[in-house]
Amino acid sequence: MDDLLRLRGNLDDTMAKRMITLEVFRYRPDGDDEATIQDYRVPYHEHWVVLDALNWIKDHADGTLSFRWSCRMGVCGSCGMMVNGEPKLTCAVFLKDYYPSPIRVEPLINFPVERDLVISMDDFLAKLQAVKPWLIRDEEEPPEGEYLQTPSQLAQYQQFSMCINCMLCYAACPEIEGIPDFLGPAAIALAHRYNLDSRDQGQSQRQEALGSEEALWGCTFVGECTAVCPKNVDPAGAIQQAKVASTKDWYRNVLLPWGKR
Amino acid sequence: MKRSNEAFWWSLFSAGGIMAALFIPAFIVLTGLVLPFTTGGDADLGYERAHQVVTWWPVRIVLFVVVFLSLFHCAHRIRHILMDLGLRAVSTVLAALCYSGAAAGTVAALFVLGTL
Repeated sequence: MDDLLRLRGNLDDTMAKRMITLEVFRYRPDGDDEATIQDYRVPYHEHWVVLDALNWIKDHADGTLSFRWSCRMGVCGSCGMMVNGEPKLTCAVFLKDYYPSPIRVEPLINFPVERDLVISMDDFLAKLQAVKPWLIRDEEEPPEGEYLQTPSQLAQYQQFSMCINCMLCYAACPEIEGIPDFLGPAAIALAHRYNLDSRDQGQSQRQEALGSEEALWGCTFVGECTAVCPKNVDPAGAIQQAKVASTKDWYRNVLLPWGKR
Repeated sequence: MKRSNEAFWWSLFSAGGIMAALFIPAFIVLTGLVLPFTTGGDADLGYERAHQVVTWWPVRIVLFVVVFLSLFHCAHRIRHILMDLGLRAVSTVLAALCYSGAAAGTVAALFVLGTL
């Protein structure tokens, strides 16, 4: 990784040395009373993303800077941060889109900060687990081979299965902060993804998490979750579909209380 | 199984949004453009025609459904805006105020449309 960055850097060094400023959010719980913004001058390369710049800082300027990252290619969902106030995967935003202006990098909002750019995921993970985002079967007796599915059954949920749990939608959602019980975009989208899956039988179990007053209905369809989603999951669409499903379930229960479920 | 009654209010909100989007632009075109321009500015003739249309029973029913659902659509939206503005702690009071307002409007619409 280091060698690769240096190699990339050397190629550009033949040109005039251009720099860009990163204004980075710093908070160290073991020493700081409050968060500060620290400026770093970073070499500018056209092909660098914000994550490359953060890694350059970590390797060459300040080894104490903490941030999460892994795959560098928009798959792992670890490097989500606020870039100039917008939730972004830092591996997918290029310096050239901001140069020569400075770039402000902060931890995702709506989450507690653990250190520097690292946020606490505990609340999100608890919500994710509550909706049981896995295939649930009444009796676990695998058939011969696999559970078969037609292409149209796959198409029902496939888009919603692309979520990488990067939590950008939680940072974008204006309802998350004020409604602690709201499950939030990714968790509801994943609950809906499994409810739509023809192989799944766990809808009533998931309803335990989705059925409370605010869990699903905290959403007022602002749509920012879908606007920032790097994988085009459309969580806002999933939530509206989940609302329709919940509403049908409510009417079925009121009008046919003796019926199934 | 847990079920929130929010589903019921949301269904009125959702249906009201569809009805408002579908019918109200058409109503504006009919009452704001078609009627005045086809009666040649004769106010009495305009009233006569409008009265004839509105008192036809299918139209009364459609108007009632549109007004009823649109009112609950507005009530739900206003309630949620007020909750988002920081009144979440009194959401039950807001619900009572907003939905009873919509219910009062619905009764008024029923009265007006029934006695025309």
